[in-house]
Amino acid sequence: MNKTFSRWLPCATLFAWSFILLFFYFSGRIHALLHPTFRPFALIAGVVMFLLACCFLFLPATAECCTDDGCGHTLGRGLGGRLLTFFVLLVPMCAAAAFSPGGYGAAAVLNRGVISDASALGGAPAPRTAVAAADNSSVTEPPLPSNDNSTPAPQAQAQEPEPTDYLHKNKDGNIVLQVIDLLYAAQDASLIRDFENKRVEFIGQYMPDTVNNVNGKRFKVVRMLMVCCAADARPVAAVVESDQPSNIPEMSWVKVVGDATFPTEGGRVLAVVKAKSVTVTDPPEETMLY
Amino acid sequence: MNWFTFRFQDFSYSFLSILFEGLPFLLLGSVLSGVIDAFVPGEVFSRILPRNKFAAIALSGALGAVFPMCECGSVVVARRFIRKGLPIASAVTYMLSAPIVNPVVALSTFAAFRGQSPWVMTSLRLALGFLLSVTVGFIVQQAPLEKILNRKILDTLPGKLRTAFRIGAAPGAEQDLNAALAEGGPRSRVLAAIQSATSDFLDVAFFLVVGAAITSVFNTAVNQQFIQPLATNAPLATLAMMGLRFLLALCSTSDAFIAASFVSFPFVAKLAFLVFGAMFDIKLFFLYGLIFRRWFVAALGIGLFTAIAVLCLRLTVLNL
Repeated sequence: MNKTFSRWLPCATLFAWSFILLFFYFSGRIHALLHPTFRPFALIAGVVMFLLACCFLFLPATAECCTDDGCGHTLGRGLGGRLLTFFVLLVPMCAAAAFSPGGYGAAAVLNRGVISDASALGGAPAPRTAVAAADNSSVTEPPLPSNDNSTPAPQAQAQEPEPTDYLHKNKDGNIVLQVIDLLYAAQDASLIRDFENKRVEFIGQYMPDTVNNVNGKRFKVVRMLMVCCAADARPVAAVVESDQPSNIPEMSWVKVVGDATFPTEGGRVLAVVKAKSVTVTDPPEETMLY
Repeated sequence: MNWFTFRFQDFSYSFLSILFEGLPFLLLGSVLSGVIDAFVPGEVFSRILPRNKFAAIALSGALGAVFPMCECGSVVVARRFIRKGLPIASAVTYMLSAPIVNPVVALSTFAAFRGQSPWVMTSLRLALGFLLSVTVGFIVQQAPLEKILNRKILDTLPGKLRTAFRIGAAPGAEQDLNAALAEGGPRSRVLAAIQSATSDFLDVAFFLVVGAAITSVFNTAVNQQFIQPLATNAPLATLAMMGLRFLLALCSTSDAFIAASFVSFPFVAKLAFLVFGAMFDIKLFFLYGLIFRRWFVAALGIGLFTAIAVLCLRLTVLNL
């Protein structure tokens, strides 16, 4: 029994974890979980765990821990403690890997608090680009000015480039941007001038607006803004106003084409897009904003 | 509006992301710990420490930078060092500081707080960890050992060496780890390092899994609006985060990722979470009992809790 715990259970745990890490990495599912900076670490960890598991499997394990009171691995003591340890190590991670979706549901998004005002983002980095990576029809052009992820776009605007230098338009003439760009634009008068009453296009997840929706025409288009991992991701949303009745299921991915406006409501400038069309679309390759 | 809406898919998504982010750092710490366990004899620490007691304590507080160790490993190592003759105060200082003042923790803290003043958070965490560890070291230096040390430790102080490892390939009698490893040669050392690293990793990963689960429930099921009043009150938020960290019993190599996810809580509360948790949590309460008497462990916990809360709250004047 001791050999089972000392050799085979650690071996099985390491193989299982290694498989999960490597599967998520190579299948691309890791994109929804981790910021690009951290993905290589997960790959390395998966490989190292695999090697450690192989060491346990193929090399005779002669060193045994937890055999006297000199060991601090208190959970290694006793059959019950060891069984509990490996149950906790194996079952939750395997279950989570099996049932984890590629994003949060509406309840979690609401629980985390939807942000429609960039000032509520605190020190979070501004997005690197306003170019919608998801839109394959887009033509690559210079991105919105930003300073290595540490300076919000409105500050970078101090360089005062011409709007045509960084506003990216697709073949229909719509400015292609991200939800977060509208939020930052609402914080800066010069950006408001650049975007106001211009035809914009962006994608996100549909969510009914239950807070600021007097005439019943408004809904939110939500994206998750990730700093390190999905656990710290915050939902950011642009408000969309549409005359067309919507029967789009909650959290569906939608593409919105409309005119950007920046009315002052409740003492703050809000980005509101007057929609010309709202269509259900496929999720982008990168569902998170960074 | 409900304050609690649990959905397993949301929970598993958040849970998995925390594990994916934290496990590589935990693994890195465990591998380093295993290598040190198997290849660095305890006498090395005694040789490099200055003879002046105060200088020795101060240097011990920085030893984690050279010999990094997470808190679970540091307790085991400190006890081994005490048995090998390292001054108690130096061993205790190392035990408390190594889980904070080490490059792996600095790296993970910096990475986790990317976008949330990473330099400030990392610097303050290391500085406070060092300061408090050295202070406790000075207190232990003045205290009568027979009153604070566990009786089993006291019995081994005269020089009786006991092993923390039993090497199956070595003769059956208990013997010093280094002697046993030396007999087995480099292959035994490598195997011992792998064994030690894996044991540390799986042992501490247990607490990371539990902590990630609790955090994920909090992050996805609890409506943040209901705790917003707590998050906006710095003293309440600081005490709450420290209490939570005590219960979560996370590893210092990866707890920064969990702290960073509490986005609505003030900076000082997260700092208190990171400093206190690496020095005292529910699992350390039991592990410290392997070295100290229970009353001293309790006093240590209360003292650290109070000192860290006061220091962190004082930092609010800096508008952090």
